[in-house]
Amino acid sequence: MAQPLKKSLKQVKPILSLDKEEARKRVLHLYKAWFRQLPYIVRRYDIPKNVEQCRSKLREEFTKYDDIKDVRVIDMMIIKGQMELKETVNVWKQKGHIMAYFKDTIEPKPTDFLSKFLTSKD
Amino acid sequence: MSSFLRQLIKTVRTSTVKSGVIANLARLQSTEAVSVKETRPTVRKSDELARTQLVDFGKYVADCLPKYIQKVQITAGDELELLIASEGVVPVLQFLKDHHSCQFSNLSDIAGMDVPCRPYRFEVIYNLLSVRFNSRIRVKTYTDELTPVDSCNGIYKAANWYEREIWDMYGVFFANHPDLRRILTDYGFEGHPFRKDFPLSGYVEVRYDDEKKRVVIEPLELAQEFRKFELSAPWEQFPKFRNAPPAVEEVKTNKQ
Repeated sequence: MAQPLKKSLKQVKPILSLDKEEARKRVLHLYKAWFRQLPYIVRRYDIPKNVEQCRSKLREEFTKYDDIKDVRVIDMMIIKGQMELKETVNVWKQKGHIMAYFKDTIEPKPTDFLSKFLTSKD
Repeated sequence: MSSFLRQLIKTVRTSTVKSGVIANLARLQSTEAVSVKETRPTVRKSDELARTQLVDFGKYVADCLPKYIQKVQITAGDELELLIASEGVVPVLQFLKDHHSCQFSNLSDIAGMDVPCRPYRFEVIYNLLSVRFNSRIRVKTYTDELTPVDSCNGIYKAANWYEREIWDMYGVFFANHPDLRRILTDYGFEGHPFRKDFPLSGYVEVRYDDEKKRVVIEPLELAQEFRKFELSAPWEQFPKFRNAPPAVEEVKTNKQ
């Protein structure tokens, strides 16, 4: 028998932030840290992008998760973002890893009938 | 307790000479129900004395740390397991390491386990070894994707890389870890591969692009349809173990 879904408040252990405001501050801190590092990243990695393009990509990467409201999920993403920043700044990553954000080799999927027909294998 | 364990060491040392006598003595001493003596040559014999001592030790530890230890059990006949609450990792491990009659000074391994149907889907399993008493113990705790577990790096330095591995493979966050970062996956890798909901083929494929002159990462699309394999065999695999005792036996503690 399927039990009805109960919605209740559960007391949970915080990861980093105690409330939304604190989480927001942390996100802004992370954004600023990435933003300040962008010129150095562009210079070190020899990627075919300029700082402006990287800034718009950074903004896109952050605004992609605008709809996430859970403080703990935000905290987890901050932690991962911080780790990524460290990997990038210390040049543990390589050019291919940085360019993976831009997805410039991925062809968009066909949407209309004719392009679907032309790309179909069988 | 320590004298108890020391006695165990002595008996283990001399067991080749007078094992029969000691086994009989142990059966007289033990208060638990004695299981049937194993006579089949292909089945491992159970050492009743060692088992009783493990049970006693498990009860003792459960009495010492009633706040954290939720259950004590014996698996596979002679392996002691403590199931603890996730906030008790540090005190329990500190106790097991530093208490005079435990001295589990060696952290052999930390393992993870993912059971998605549970409310706390991950298990973190610490395997400890006491060099002094030549015995092992397993400490299990539970967590979910968003609940941090306290790092035991302050107690066992060996935990550093093990916890990084758990973090990388399962995404269990360890609070107060000095250097938590990926250890096995590639930089920029998304997801945690040992989670049950992570597909076997992964989400991306990596190849060298000749035009771009670099390695590119692209989403993976498999042409194969989803197939369901029937993995169970039509015949019985281990008929001799049809009536084998259950793998997990719970030890009654004073709490219950």
